[in-house]
Amino acid sequence: MRLLFILGEIGSGLRRNLSMVISVVLVTFVSLTFVGAAGMLQMQINQMKGYWYDKVQVAVFLCNDGSTAVGCASGPATKEQQENLQAMLESPAVKQYINDFQFESQAEAYKHFKEQFSNSPIVDSVSEDQLPASFRINMKNPEKYQIISETFSSQPGVETVSDQRQVLERIFSWMNGASVAAVGVAAVMIFCAVLLITTTIRLSAFSRRRETGIMRLVGASKTVIQLPFILEGVIAAVVGAVLASVTLWLMAHFWLNGDLSRQFLNTPFISSTQVLVIAPVLIALGAGLAGISSLLTLRRYLKV
Amino acid sequence: MSGGVLRAMIRFENVTKVYEQNARPALDSVSLEINRGEFTFLVGASGSGKSTFLRLILKEDKASAGSVYVAGQNVANISSWRVPKLRRGIGVVFQDFRLLPQKNVFANVAFAMQVIGKSRSIIRETVPEVLKTVGLEGKERRMPHELSGGEQQRVAIARAVVNRPGILLADEPTGNLDPITSMGIMGVLDKINQNGTTVVMATHDDDIVNEMRRRVVELKNGKVIRDEAKALYTSMIPVVGESRRLRDASGEELDRAQGAQL
Ligand SMILES: Nc1ncnc2c1ncn2[C@@H]1O[C@H](COP(=O)(O)OP(=O)(O)OP(=O)(O)O)[C@@H](O)[C@H]1O
Ligand SMILES: [Mg+2]
Repeated sequence: MRLLFILGEIGSGLRRNLSMVISVVLVTFVSLTFVGAAGMLQMQINQMKGYWYDKVQVAVFLCNDGSTAVGCASGPATKEQQENLQAMLESPAVKQYINDFQFESQAEAYKHFKEQFSNSPIVDSVSEDQLPASFRINMKNPEKYQIISETFSSQPGVETVSDQRQVLERIFSWMNGASVAAVGVAAVMIFCAVLLITTTIRLSAFSRRRETGIMRLVGASKTVIQLPFILEGVIAAVVGAVLASVTLWLMAHFWLNGDLSRQFLNTPFISSTQVLVIAPVLIALGAGLAGISSLLTLRRYLKV
Repeated sequence: MSGGVLRAMIRFENVTKVYEQNARPALDSVSLEINRGEFTFLVGASGSGKSTFLRLILKEDKASAGSVYVAGQNVANISSWRVPKLRRGIGVVFQDFRLLPQKNVFANVAFAMQVIGKSRSIIRETVPEVLKTVGLEGKERRMPHELSGGEQQRVAIARAVVNRPGILLADEPTGNLDPITSMGIMGVLDKINQNGTTVVMATHDDDIVNEMRRRVVELKNGKVIRDEAKALYTSMIPVVGESRRLRDASGEELDRAQGAQL
């Protein structure tokens, strides 16, 4: 009976304050979407780190026709230069730092390039001899990149030595920055959400002061008087959190695993199932915030 | 605890209530006992402290000094989460009825039971009984705005007593009603009192007090200046010239009332 009563009270409270309740739903929806997006970015960073870190290589690019580097003054790398480099890689001095290495010819480079940009017009404007051949080196310890770089960059026929890890680090730090920004936006929005929940509960308590006054006089317990208001805020926030979770899932499903993964074939995107891990966190966060802010508001504005 | 304490449903021991530091106390060292089953009128000019007295019984306010006992228990010692239990033992009626306008008569009375978790079947059984006691049979489905003031007050009384409290506090329950309707309300309160409920009623209505002839406690500036059994609205005891004049007036009034009865 008391449960039914409380449910009825919640229903009438939600109906009476519909526009306020809707705004609470929307604000928590937006703020938690940002929280969730920050979480997704972090998951994506970890995913990429795990995937790339044992795959990233140091590439020693050889001179080709178009090379402008100082080491390439004598034109494209010759067969001897290439064999010389290979011998160096196999020498014990270098070998101790690397797991293995492969040679990627200009033809292979062109093939990889075509695969990677299969649906981009750029493929047609690039020819095979414009791409450099390279040695792809798997480091035992990627931190030792400097040694390889120093050893090879001054060799004849070498255009440049590049560390792919550095490129990745740049991407990661960009993604980290984006997730910090998302958390910042989320913090502001959560602040709005808390203020809005507070106001909504206050209005709700005010519009039902007759009922609560009578409840108090006939000896209704604090729980029976306050619970409908608290649940009103919590329900609105949970609806917002569910909407945020659904939005994030849709983003992961149709954007990350749709368009983006078609564009970036060898980037490992987080799956939409992984995103579902975020949903309970968002719901708990929404419910907790709403519960606490309603409780504190009622302490001040609802005499029991 | 002595037998006296148990017999006393409400006991004030040197109770002082100060709302604002510099103002005179709303209640000034009031000591009073109201026994189980008694019917007591609380009279006195506006601002004499009648409502304050009732609020202290409900623990709506805290006494600044002294102790208030309800059913033998010092209300100061009741923790905030047990205050609802205290209030379940006390029904309250006000001058302005305080009904819920969007609920019908039955729902208004049932509300008091729902919020303390009474089962639906008990509510369906009890509410019509109580509505009969206050003389509202057949009006269960009416909305408050479809009732006269007297009927609305009967609904409020039904709501106050539906959980069978030991005490009924009424703060000027007839303040908004005409004399005949007021008498009807008094009949209901009397009936509830006959059933064993202790009734304390604050009022300015001299006709009612004179008609009922019950205990009268008179407050003035927060002090009890009279406590008389089977008394009239104004004192029969001549103290100063002012009182004599009032007594004469009330004497006339009494004669008139008796004459009307004959
Ligand atoms: N909440 C309050 N804050 C400050 N002062 C108050 C408060 N309630 C009552 N008072 C003061 O306490 C005194 C007693 O008020 P109380 O309401 O008890 O009088 P009363 O006898 O019920 O009067 P009335 O017959 O007009 O209802 C008055 O002087 C009033 O101004
Ligand atoms: Mg009063």
